[in-house]
Amino acid sequence: MANTACFIIVGRNDIPIYEAEVGSAAKREDAAQLHQFILHAALDVVQDLAWTTSAMFLKSVDRFNDLVVSVYVTAGHTRLMLLHDSRNEDGIKSFFQEVHELYIKILLNPLYLPGSRITSTHFDTKVRALARKYL
Amino acid sequence: MGREVAESCVDTMLMEMVAMYSGRFYANKPELAARRIEAIGYQVGHQLSERYTMERPRFSDHLEAIKFICKDFWSEVFKKQIDNLKTNHRGTFVLQDNKFRWLSRVSIDPSSDKETEDPSTPGESKAAQAVSMYLYFPCGIIRGVLSNLGIPCAVSADISSLPTCSFVIRVKA
Repeated sequence: MANTACFIIVGRNDIPIYEAEVGSAAKREDAAQLHQFILHAALDVVQDLAWTTSAMFLKSVDRFNDLVVSVYVTAGHTRLMLLHDSRNEDGIKSFFQEVHELYIKILLNPLYLPGSRITSTHFDTKVRALARKYL
Repeated sequence: MGREVAESCVDTMLMEMVAMYSGRFYANKPELAARRIEAIGYQVGHQLSERYTMERPRFSDHLEAIKFICKDFWSEVFKKQIDNLKTNHRGTFVLQDNKFRWLSRVSIDPSSDKETEDPSTPGESKAAQAVSMYLYFPCGIIRGVLSNLGIPCAVSADISSLPTCSFVIRVKA
């Protein structure tokens, strides 16, 4: 069970469309900003790595102290990025696959503009539930 | 994510969409109606591409993405594959479908064709123009799928011989 975990979804134009702190530890203000900074800095590494493989799950691409960044890239170049301190790779892969399915459901909503922020509370609740289950 | 709908609903909805846009919203402005329908197709293609690429690994080059459209995507949307794919290896692809599903029930009366032939546009009759309105939606879908996979392009359709339909994809380099 991960104590710290920060999850963001970055669209194809490099704009984050969803972010959430999904760890089970108590939230701290400075930690949240640090997590976002680490994830955004890892975007460059993801960019290079995404072209070298045709797999979707890129495992861990970057590390900072004892925190690891894992990334899952979809065919439309949407990146699901997770910052965590656990080593449970299978759990993380299942988490990404389930969130991918939820993301497709959001996309299928005709009133959702692709590339805009995901504001659905339903989506948020489900992502947090999935995080508790798999991470 | 796998509920089913009768195909007649899809056919009726497409007919109604073209009728509304070319008859009511943009009457006498076929270019605007065409662009609007194509934009709807673009959004649909965008959504469908994410949905149908979920299970498979990502694409390494343009040809892989075009082959995905010819085989998997066309089977999911039209229940058959593209019959013929041609390319000039310089960014142009021609996808030929010998019995395009959405046009399979379109019939053009040849006698009315001769009467209403417009002398100023000798190559194109009114019937062909009417049928071409129905092709903007699939062109938009193809463009949406390719744009989401990272390949900006322009798609046009050619119906010189019904029910065979060719889609010409020009990749913007």
